[in-house]
Amino acid sequence: MVGRIKNYINGEWMDSEIREFGDVWCPATGEKIAEVPLSTAADMDKAAQAAKEAYWDWRCTPPLTRARYFFKLKDLFENAFEDIARTLVTEEGKTIDESRGEVRRMIENVEHATGVTTMMTGYNLEDIAQGIDCTAERQSIGVFGVIAPFNFPAMVPWWFLPYAVVSGNTYIVKPSEQVPMTQTRIFEAIDECGFPEGVINMVHGARDAVNGMLYHPDIKGVSFVGQSATARYVYKACGETGKRVQALGGAKNFVLVMPDAELDRHMPSLITSFYGCAGERCLSGSVLVAVGDVYKELKEKFVAAAKALKVGNGLQEGIQMGPVVSKKHKEKVLGYIEKGIKEGAKLILDGRNIRVDGYPNGFFIGPTVFDEVHPDMSIAKEEIFGPVVALIHVKNLDEGLKLIENSEYGNAACLYTTNGKTAREFKYRAVASMMGINLGIAAPMSFFPFGGAKGSFFGDIKGHGREVFQFFTDTKVVIQRWT
Amino acid sequence: MALSTFGAIMGFSAEMVQQTEAFYETMFQKAKDPILREALEVLLEEEGKNYSLMERTRRENVTEMILEPIAGLDQGDYEIEMRGMDQTKDADLLKMALILEERERRFFSEVSDKVPLPEVGRIFRKVAQKKERSLARLKTLGLNQF
Repeated sequence: MVGRIKNYINGEWMDSEIREFGDVWCPATGEKIAEVPLSTAADMDKAAQAAKEAYWDWRCTPPLTRARYFFKLKDLFENAFEDIARTLVTEEGKTIDESRGEVRRMIENVEHATGVTTMMTGYNLEDIAQGIDCTAERQSIGVFGVIAPFNFPAMVPWWFLPYAVVSGNTYIVKPSEQVPMTQTRIFEAIDECGFPEGVINMVHGARDAVNGMLYHPDIKGVSFVGQSATARYVYKACGETGKRVQALGGAKNFVLVMPDAELDRHMPSLITSFYGCAGERCLSGSVLVAVGDVYKELKEKFVAAAKALKVGNGLQEGIQMGPVVSKKHKEKVLGYIEKGIKEGAKLILDGRNIRVDGYPNGFFIGPTVFDEVHPDMSIAKEEIFGPVVALIHVKNLDEGLKLIENSEYGNAACLYTTNGKTAREFKYRAVASMMGINLGIAAPMSFFPFGGAKGSFFGDIKGHGREVFQFFTDTKVVIQRWT
Repeated sequence: MALSTFGAIMGFSAEMVQQTEAFYETMFQKAKDPILREALEVLLEEEGKNYSLMERTRRENVTEMILEPIAGLDQGDYEIEMRGMDQTKDADLLKMALILEERERRFFSEVSDKVPLPEVGRIFRKVAQKKERSLARLKTLGLNQF
């Protein structure tokens, strides 16, 4: 019998109000490995009440004291590093290197947040009128929450949580019900760290738990990462209920390769861009745009490198691409491959029937490449979130930029070139918020903001970076006269 | 086995260093000559530090670039017969230490150019340089001395 996961509310591990469970799968073996409670709005309310109760004492705790909890938590995370990384691989499927990278990114957010005593300061000016002084002070707001996606179960909640909590707010995490074990392992460290009860809480579940958070009157703000349709829904719901919101949506990222690009040098980075995390990341390259006469050579070299990727169980060192997260998601990705064929694209590398020795039931899809893709085809427009590459040939940079402009998404875009002028033109004109020049994954680190444009982002203030402190604080202006 | 990922390289590095450390520990117990014992003690301490360095590098030197596929490295090229462990003569122990040090020098020096992270390349180069110095030191002891 597999284990049942619990919620963490008010410093205690507890069962959900109702006894309905979802299944958690190991994507490499295809076996059920745990059951996750599909918590209700009542569970969310319990967490919100605990967080609300804990808020005032926590808000009055000096920022440096709050930061000290995170110093300790960082150490606990370092000690649990490998364990968290392996749990993540087991339920999500990515490779152990990708997983270690994700856990490192999570810890970096903790490190960045501990700079609260500098990052949260306000500003002041004497004599705004004679004898009258004005200060702008940053104050915490109350209870915040995050609704996290399946693809980065460790890292994504930590784009927000440490900043919210170190600023004096209290917090609720709602992990993806597909991958609840990683955050549960992380919460074991939180429990050991000894935060005051109710400051950090976790409620597992799906739609009911999400709506419980979105419509709860005591929750002041929500961070979301997931598909664009859901991001839009979260954005609207938070608008209706007067909450602060930052909703990061999906992506369709274009990677342009110029004729002057150093193909051999950058091929590993190109391959990682498209096939890293089996394509299940919002920064993944999705459309490979060959500009001008690089097309033939790029196609040959890219397909050869893609074919050479070692696909398998991500827990084995040396594996370069793991399975996708679930059987359902595998079917969705396979559906897109079928659609690509029907719409007339040429399948030049077919990953549909890949066999991985020892893992006959795993949710594997091999590297896949479509050539002769037209910008109007579904595989060129829609987010697939799998190891499927659409190769488009354009005449020049203008045509490539037009493709980016016409996309409904604007998360990331990358360019490979040896020409500085071309690079500048690209970063200046491309409508996407995370840009890579001669690298294929433009992932901002914790001290820069993470988030897209157009249909990839709903809100104003993005994840982490300096600005995120603004999301979690109100600027109170105090005007004083004592003369 | 091909060392085709950052994790595979770091895993093998840590394993190799740990293996060497364990051998030095045993060799130190067996060695009789005080000069050789002192040299082995230094190597033992150094390997302990190298192991911590490998673990720390694997955990902390992480950027997107570690995910890039790596070609042209195979762990078979750096595997050696560990028969020297049966030896009890000081001269044979020294010979074994020279082999172990040379293996690590070659590995860290060759891999430093192939890892996609410059900072990790630099760490590996430094370890290779330390190994060069250790080799030079061991060679001054002279096999005929024991």
